[in-house]
Amino acid sequence: MSKSISAPARQQSGGVPAGIGRRMRLRLAHRSFRILCAAAAVLVSGVLLTMLFFMFRTGVLTFQSVSLREFFLSAEWEPENDKYGALVFIAGTFMVTALTLAIAVPISILAALFLAELAPSRLARVIRPILDLLVGIPSVVYGYMGLTLLIPALRTVTGSNLGDGVLAASLVLAIMILPTITRISDDAIRTVPRKYIQGSYALGATRFQTVTGIILPAASRGIVQACILGMARAIGETMAVVMVIGNTPQLADSLLKPTSVLTSNIVMQMPNVPFDSTWNNALYMMGFLLLAISLLMIAVVRLLQKKGEN
Amino acid sequence: MKWYGKLTTLTLAATLLLGAAGGGAATAAASKLSGKIVVNGSSALLPLTLQASNEFKKLNPKVRISASAAGSVTGPQAVRKGIADIGACDWDASTDVPGFSKFDGQVANKVAVIPFAAIANKSAGVSGLTTKQLQDIFSGKVKNWKDVGGKDADIVVVNRAFGSGTRVNFQMKALQGTDFITKGDNYKEVKSSGDMKTAIETTPNSIGYIDLVYVTDKMTALKIDNVAPTTDNVINGSYKVWSYGYFMTKGQPTGATKAFIEYIQSAKFQNGSLKKLKFIPLTAMK
Repeated sequence: MSKSISAPARQQSGGVPAGIGRRMRLRLAHRSFRILCAAAAVLVSGVLLTMLFFMFRTGVLTFQSVSLREFFLSAEWEPENDKYGALVFIAGTFMVTALTLAIAVPISILAALFLAELAPSRLARVIRPILDLLVGIPSVVYGYMGLTLLIPALRTVTGSNLGDGVLAASLVLAIMILPTITRISDDAIRTVPRKYIQGSYALGATRFQTVTGIILPAASRGIVQACILGMARAIGETMAVVMVIGNTPQLADSLLKPTSVLTSNIVMQMPNVPFDSTWNNALYMMGFLLLAISLLMIAVVRLLQKKGEN
Repeated sequence: MKWYGKLTTLTLAATLLLGAAGGGAATAAASKLSGKIVVNGSSALLPLTLQASNEFKKLNPKVRISASAAGSVTGPQAVRKGIADIGACDWDASTDVPGFSKFDGQVANKVAVIPFAAIANKSAGVSGLTTKQLQDIFSGKVKNWKDVGGKDADIVVVNRAFGSGTRVNFQMKALQGTDFITKGDNYKEVKSSGDMKTAIETTPNSIGYIDLVYVTDKMTALKIDNVAPTTDNVINGSYKVWSYGYFMTKGQPTGATKAFIEYIQSAKFQNGSLKKLKFIPLTAMK
């Protein structure tokens, strides 16, 4: 196939002196390829910038009629009565994320240690692909499991009437980000140079001392990156959360009280807001906040990576 | 009533022609209407819009209809902005309703009757409530089922998010305009009728409300003031919790839009496909 195509092409260029024709063709090909790549890069970064710009442009209109103070510090979210305090959602997002990490990180690190250091390699070879598959499960599936299995279980265990709230959301998210953090930490631990570990054993350290004194500190950068990636996934998660959080704009003073977070509030209210209203703008502002938080996370990851290179 | 007759004749003619000649030539001859109709708005009315547009396009092959749906309020908004020709809405958007002001210059065209039901989890042990009891429960004054004749258990209130068309109608018709509670340990909001159904079916001692078509035998559809929520009771006038579904248009509808709305309002569609989709025909409400 390739022969039949390239043969006539060669004959065509045969009219021009062979050297120049080839050079011209190559230059043209190189240049157009470069332009193509550059265009793709511009497109990608352009999308991000436009998104940031439009979210901010609409979002910032909120502050024409709502004071910064009210938006960030008031917990009264009643758009129908012109009260736009987003504190409930911001606090909810941070509470859920913090609790999620508190549950997921220790378990993930232990699992990663097991995979990288303790498990027989044949077992690790089976578990790793399974974890990779778990990373790819759509979040709505986790949410549905939470709604149908976790919440009824929480009701029986805690005796609460609803079961929805920060605890349910955090448990669902923790299960969701476990494989992510485990796999990346596992990779980080496996890149700890063998000679460190052998040196530690040679000095008479026990396995436990080697793990806590050598392996974890040496892999700490990678593990922190893993946690931040998991955190970014948890912060932006919408579908799984909206199904188990309860969606009530009230500050959660208990882990079992229905509350709301930035993502779930946006998805709940977006279809019903009047265009060009303060309410609509406030939702955009929340979207912008979320975007800003995740970008900040990514910046932190980058910074950590650079530090490691030096 | 004039256009009813006209349309029936038209459809009759089309059917006859189809029967006699068969095929595309006949349908083309039956209609000279052309144009594009954009429908936006209520997701509750979307099945009806889609069914009607399929049938209408067969009769009028030159008319293109595109329908999409989000919340009710997006319907009249899209019409005001000129994005859509028809805005499907669960309430009459040319008047003020709780939470939403009226849309000036828009005409509300009735297309269907939608009944709603107050529903409770089977465990509550209550089969009916009075309007007053409903108001007290949904405003948070009554917190225990035993106060309304049920067992001794906290009432879990499940509400739709603010802006939902079902919520607007339930508030106006069943609660007669009284406010909902907005906070509490035993209060949550859900984002769609499907989520409401799941929540009430699976949450012990919960109460909520839903379109009658979503009611299943895994929940109790509550009698209100001793009247059961059934299609028959809506038609005979004893059950009050229902509303019209509306197609909002900018001024009186014209051209293809007018013909489409008239098709939906026609006796053939109302008593045929619309009934199959479990809405109540407009003509039944006399």
